[in-house]
Amino acid sequence: MRHYFGNKWAIAAFALPALLLYSLVVSYPVVQSLYRSFFEWDGIGAGTFNGLSNYAELFRDPLLATSLRNGGIFALVLVVFQIGLGTILALVCADIKIKGRKVLKVGYFIPVVLSVTVVCQLWIAIYDPTNGLVNRLFELVGIPYRQNWLTSPAVSIIAIAFVNAWQFMGYQFSLLYAGIKSIPEQYVEAAIIDGCTKWGAHRRITIPLMAETFKFCLIVAITGGIGAFVQMLIMTSGGPGTTNFTLTYMIYRYAFSEFEYGYACAVSVFLVAISLLATVIINRLFRQERMTY
Amino acid sequence: MLTRIKPGSILLQGLLWIYFIVSVYPLFWMITYSLKNNDQIFVTNPFGIPLHMHFENYVHAWEQFNVPRYFVNSLVVSAISTCGILLLSVMFAYTVARMEWRLREAARIYMIIGMFIPLQVIMIPLAILVKNFHLTNTYGALIVPYIAFGLPFSSLIFYGFMRTIPVELEESACMDGASIYRTFFRIIVPIVRPAVATIAIFQFLGAWNEFLLAYILISDEAMKTLPLGLLFFQGQYSTDWGGMGAVMTIASLPMVVMFLFFSDQVERALTVGSAVKG
Repeated sequence: MRHYFGNKWAIAAFALPALLLYSLVVSYPVVQSLYRSFFEWDGIGAGTFNGLSNYAELFRDPLLATSLRNGGIFALVLVVFQIGLGTILALVCADIKIKGRKVLKVGYFIPVVLSVTVVCQLWIAIYDPTNGLVNRLFELVGIPYRQNWLTSPAVSIIAIAFVNAWQFMGYQFSLLYAGIKSIPEQYVEAAIIDGCTKWGAHRRITIPLMAETFKFCLIVAITGGIGAFVQMLIMTSGGPGTTNFTLTYMIYRYAFSEFEYGYACAVSVFLVAISLLATVIINRLFRQERMTY
Repeated sequence: MLTRIKPGSILLQGLLWIYFIVSVYPLFWMITYSLKNNDQIFVTNPFGIPLHMHFENYVHAWEQFNVPRYFVNSLVVSAISTCGILLLSVMFAYTVARMEWRLREAARIYMIIGMFIPLQVIMIPLAILVKNFHLTNTYGALIVPYIAFGLPFSSLIFYGFMRTIPVELEESACMDGASIYRTFFRIIVPIVRPAVATIAIFQFLGAWNEFLLAYILISDEAMKTLPLGLLFFQGQYSTDWGGMGAVMTIASLPMVVMFLFFSDQVERALTVGSAVKG
């Protein structure tokens, strides 16, 4: 068997195509981004080495504060809406004897399979100040709260984040639902027999046991929020002005319309660092959680 | 399942159905306005079912816009990418799951790291790479990166699957004199077919809806995929809501129909990543 599984030619033929392609398209660009973040570079010539000055410039860039703030708000909306509301919906859906559970789950999931372009343009119409669904609905029930949802700086970032939260709610819901279903029913039943209320049992048993699921959902939501881009691009072009900029939007603008590739690479390295930091912190939090339990 | 029907549970069920409406009504609204004229959309009947069907919106949309073109582009790119990912990752996974070579553990970890690399840090050098290889505005500009990005996830799923196959299968094939290639394609590949379905759905859907890379790498009208092509209706035809609705409905229909038929498989395929990444 040794020469059979140790067949050098077969190993090369099977492994090399994947490894080479992956190295060329994924690894090489990552290294290149890191390397070029220390250069003043327009993407064509050799560029000039300028040490850490791209990073120094980044921390003086007023767009950075805007982008971090927006990334934070975006992530917060996703966490509250998808994980907060999603957990409640998943618990109820898993618990109650309910007709049409299948229909509910399909309905929640449908927006996930739609193209982000369709979803964003649909919501542009929904947010339309005069003819949109939201303002019309407020009008119908007599609430005089009309808004230019996408052009007023105060609410537009939340309105945009909500679109993303709405589209991928079904995804997070499925993860949470699967997490709940993976816990043996006897645990909750035993607690109820011991005199716990249904919701008390969920709070003390189901939710702590779902730590792994929550960890993954949080990482997806928070890194997704920090890296958000497409919704801003389609719905407001990052505006009004630069109020809806995010880190990815900065990368996009500096690289592809101002041709400051070196600086844009520094922003992208910073984005990765922030995402990694968030992931590490979430992992830490959940490790402590498990020890106390 | 201990609870009997109580007022509280009716309230909670109500919550589930309210969110169901929040989730589905915008799409229903899009389909209804795709069948209305502006008078109905804006003035007489903004919320409900269209009173007079305006199917001409669809005829217009199909004739005027490049929808069939975008459709074909999306189909070609997604189908070839999916096949490429399947082929390369099943071969790679086999070498790290079974074959004996010195760097196999290193190769496996090297590949897994790819799942944690955000697209944003790759996109600038990748755009330059694509330009240098003269791939800009070709199918290759999307297919090659899509295959590469799909490899880590798919390899990991195949790897997990192959570890569960008893090695005796290959041993007996070896005794019978089959070459390693023959064993791989005739025995291993048919066994991992369930994983193929999961990965194919996941990758096809991902490529079909991919926006960011396509936006950066494709500018030629004739090469645009659906997510990209649809983007320009907003600016150009922002007063023709009916037409826009029709185009967006046409573009969404295939995916939604596919999902309705295979909802369980699609859901499983899209959420299986959690087990891997977490």
